[in-house]
Amino acid sequence: MSGASRSGVRSNAGRLVTTRLSAWVQAAAANCIVAPSGAVKTLPGQGGVVTGIDLGDRAGSWIGDHVEPGLSLGHPDPAANRALRALSCAGNPVVMLDGPAAGAKGVVYGKHGAVLAMFAQADLARIAPGERVSIDAEGGGLALDDAPDVVLHSCSPALLHRWLQARDDGGRIVVPVAAILPPVAAAAGIGMPAAMFNMDLHIYAEPVASAAANLRFGDIVAVLDQDHRYSRRFAKGWVAVGVISHGEAGAGGHGHGLMTLLTAPMERVTLQLSSGACLATLLSGAPAS
Amino acid sequence: MTAIMRSPADNRDRLVRSSVAGRIAPPRIFHEALPVDETGRHFHLPASGGIALGVHMGDRAADWVADHLMPGLSIEDEGDNPAHAGALHLLAAIGNVVRDGSGRRIGVVSGKRGGMAPGFWPPQLVSVEVADDVARALTPGDRVVVETVGRGLQWTGFPEIGLSNVSPACLDLLPIRQDGDRLTCPVRAIARPEAAGPGLGQDSWIGDLEIAGDALSAGTLSELRFGDLVAFADIDAGTTRFYRPGWISIGLLSHGPSPAPGHGIGITMLITGPGRLLQVDIGESASLGASLRKAAEAL
Repeated sequence: MSGASRSGVRSNAGRLVTTRLSAWVQAAAANCIVAPSGAVKTLPGQGGVVTGIDLGDRAGSWIGDHVEPGLSLGHPDPAANRALRALSCAGNPVVMLDGPAAGAKGVVYGKHGAVLAMFAQADLARIAPGERVSIDAEGGGLALDDAPDVVLHSCSPALLHRWLQARDDGGRIVVPVAAILPPVAAAAGIGMPAAMFNMDLHIYAEPVASAAANLRFGDIVAVLDQDHRYSRRFAKGWVAVGVISHGEAGAGGHGHGLMTLLTAPMERVTLQLSSGACLATLLSGAPAS
Repeated sequence: MTAIMRSPADNRDRLVRSSVAGRIAPPRIFHEALPVDETGRHFHLPASGGIALGVHMGDRAADWVADHLMPGLSIEDEGDNPAHAGALHLLAAIGNVVRDGSGRRIGVVSGKRGGMAPGFWPPQLVSVEVADDVARALTPGDRVVVETVGRGLQWTGFPEIGLSNVSPACLDLLPIRQDGDRLTCPVRAIARPEAAGPGLGQDSWIGDLEIAGDALSAGTLSELRFGDLVAFADIDAGTTRFYRPGWISIGLLSHGPSPAPGHGIGITMLITGPGRLLQVDIGESASLGASLRKAAEAL
């Protein structure tokens, strides 16, 4: 069995298992942080239900710390929470099971400590922490045919086949990205398992700042010289590509959160700058949203 | 130009000494972050936590078959199990004297490890250099007391240069040279900023910053010893640790390397400042390892 996009970037999607998971909307955090200036600030942090920010909206300049648009999802049993983190993939459908928005449909777009999901703003306006959702998780084990050293994480087949559609004349996978960042962009999250959590980006100093200007939530972004096959590491000649999942942060060494989707030796891929490389575009009209 | 060999003035007379109780941490295994090497194979090796018998400051860190190994004792705060950084971790400084539950002076603080993830994932550990005969009489879970002093320490003529995890005793061991309005510290290696790994974004008094790659502009990773002074170029460690072109951070090698991708030797930060005030050069004197081992043996 094999899944194929319209242009022949083929995968093992037909063999993947879909698992129904349960999760709960997490409580909001108020983060007390110390800025590089030494100033102490308490800011809206991760978790909760963040309304008014959509995929495709600017990720920078919000007055917050690691803000996660939409829903932040977790499970109270630590083992089940680990499975939730490991199995959920960008593009997976999410359904509200209770509360005023029961029946509303959304989509997984990222991971931070929790799994992140976006719903229509009218639904977000009615959802509250403590309410329960189901996720149809699919994407664990996803791999491209004929490209064994191109490794995918947290990527559903639905997203994969909308995002990666071509090979270049040399047979390299064409990877559309909204920005390409230098290796010093990699910050907190190095050394952590790439299939879970995310990696923060140092976006406040050059040469990263210029390249990272105008990033949007949901943008797919490449970081050079990063190998994210297992735990994230600096490695010359590799590239890691992920999705901007959480917003900026007040403490040095933290910044926009990048959830890894793909990693490969540079010679196996062609990075192609494209304003369409954003989940707001790639997941629009997806089955769940 | 001749450097003038004198110690810059500091404010040690104003520092508060506080005895803080804790315990010797056990070795622990965390399934949340199952260790795999860069080929994807799972491994378990002796790590930080517990008591590393016969491992000392001054030993070459890469010689031991281990994962994030710290010499001597790994101690932690009381309370949560595993411990989050509390008063013990946040006040302890290199060179602080450590007592056991009966009041006997057993060792000196020699480094820190930052936990499984920056800031939020325990345990946050402090290492204690102890003589071999002392270590053999101790057990994980034993009560310890750290005679903390060091928070607030500052070179009075250099308000822009930050000190972290430095006790007055540690300050006296640092081979700092003052030349006019600049300080120079010899180091055994200099890491480029892209090598800065786990520990970025974390409070400078918690744990360490790992060299997660071989991007050194000077020195050789495999030759480095516990206690060696190592610098990161373009890293500011004044509050949290982060990329800041033109700044430099200097620390001491506190834990050994790891087979896990994205991990490496840990550097507990001591000094950070702008390059116009703080410089490094490569020097043979650039290690506190032997001095800390001697200090523990002399207790």
